[in-house]
Amino acid sequence: MSRRPRRDGPVRTVLVRRVGLVLLALWWTLPLVPVALWAVADRWSYPSLLPDVWGTGGWAAAWDDGAGAAALRSAALGLAVAAIATPLGALAGQGLARAERTAAPPRWAVVLATAVVLPVAVPSFATVLGLTSLALRLHVPAVVALVAVLVAVALPYTTWVMQARWAGYDCGYEDAARTLGADRVTVLRRVRLPALAPGLAVAAFLAFLVAWGDYVATLVLGGGRFLTLQQLLGATAAGSGSEPVVAALAVTTLAPALLLLAVVSRLDRAGAAS
Amino acid sequence: MHRDRGPVGSGTGMLLVLPAALVTVGVTLGGLVPAVLESLGSGTASGPPTTAAFRALDASALLDGLRVTLGVAAASTAAALVVGYTGAVLVQRSRSGGRLVAALAAGVVPVPHLVGAAAVGLLLSDAGLAARVVGAGPGEFPPLVAGPWWVAVVLEYAWKESAFVLLVVLAATAAADRELDEAGAVLGAGPWRRLRGIGLPLAAPALVVSGTVVFAYVAGAYEVAWLLGRTYPEPLPVLAFRLFGDVDLAVRAQGLAVALVTVAVCATALAVGAALLRRAAPSREPA
Repeated sequence: MSRRPRRDGPVRTVLVRRVGLVLLALWWTLPLVPVALWAVADRWSYPSLLPDVWGTGGWAAAWDDGAGAAALRSAALGLAVAAIATPLGALAGQGLARAERTAAPPRWAVVLATAVVLPVAVPSFATVLGLTSLALRLHVPAVVALVAVLVAVALPYTTWVMQARWAGYDCGYEDAARTLGADRVTVLRRVRLPALAPGLAVAAFLAFLVAWGDYVATLVLGGGRFLTLQQLLGATAAGSGSEPVVAALAVTTLAPALLLLAVVSRLDRAGAAS
Repeated sequence: MHRDRGPVGSGTGMLLVLPAALVTVGVTLGGLVPAVLESLGSGTASGPPTTAAFRALDASALLDGLRVTLGVAAASTAAALVVGYTGAVLVQRSRSGGRLVAALAAGVVPVPHLVGAAAVGLLLSDAGLAARVVGAGPGEFPPLVAGPWWVAVVLEYAWKESAFVLLVVLAATAAADRELDEAGAVLGAGPWRRLRGIGLPLAAPALVVSGTVVFAYVAGAYEVAWLLGRTYPEPLPVLAFRLFGDVDLAVRAQGLAVALVTVAVCATALAVGAALLRRAAPSREPA
């Protein structure tokens, strides 16, 4: 079995693999390098490789532009969307996981599963263009329409996550708790919710991110008046906008997303291990 | 293990899915139906539906927009698939370094595209970090941002979506597939042979699914092309958005018409993807 050609020898393979991994690591980090540098630069004239004057002027300017209030608005939007899309996705996931277990999934399951993923298939900018007219005609406040759109966009993800969780959910613990005299509420609170908590956290995280990172739906439905962090970033980056402000806004957008990702993946691993 | 086993036949399962489905269908139709009606003239005049808005569209702007939309989506998808799949293979064949790269990719997925676009702008503009590193003089750096080849736009999509492809392929490639690859190695197949004969056929469904999702997403996305693209030709979503913002109701209807063309492009992409998936899926079955 040692007829392996020389060019596939382990030394060379390992080297190619290492170089490949380093290139990939660069590929995914490189675009964020100028953001990180501009975020701590007060002046960085061309063609200097590093900032001429380090400082946090961009952050102060971003704050003066209303970044604090915008971040609060983005967070509130994210929390509202997560609060609605997570329970709806959990219910839908349970229903679809049940149907999946039957020998032949019933027709309704196929139809409803397709219905739930519809927002992935239809570009949301097209949906919101039409929805502005409807919201105006029905006198629906723009914020309500915005939350509805973002909930719809988040639902495929929350449903997928929870469907996978429900597929692996063991009802034996619920039976045991009931045998020991627990009522429905106690079973839900003490058995089911703790068991599903990691999945719910992942689903809520994804739903939060959909709203937190949204640009187009907020732009159209908010009519430029609902100033979230992304609206501010878009306006600053497209305008003559100073790079330190753009970088400060970009880092502010990324920080909670990456923090939440770290927390959720830890929760997720804890859930998978238990 | 006892699974959650509600009474399926009685339809309680259906009742559980219904609220979510009502929201997704309600919002989608609530957007598309008014778009169809208004593009057929219900917003400008009472009377029978008319295709005036579609006919009034500047044909060359629409065709150029369609060409750019398809070109950017195809190039971004191809790049994302190549980088994402290569990454997945490397991650699977290595240990700690692979885990680090997979973690980096997982960190890129939640980055909003607008942030990615701003970052790529700071990297590739004519006064960006890349121009500083190569020491380009005034006017020497190629116009990657807002240039004729849409390089910055494609790179932003490829950057973020390759991370998505990598995660999908990793999730879809079971441990059994990896054992098959090792069996191939034991039998003396080189890396390329294993890639062609084992790796690619096994990953094909995941590549088709993620590639289709990426293509449809890019074809219908607005902000990256708006921020990093040129003013003409405009990709369909950017064109639709600009026309929709016009004060003239007739031009607004044209914007909705372009939006519906975009929806049709995405739907076609998904249909093609579904057909490809049906072809790719049987390759998982043992011969």
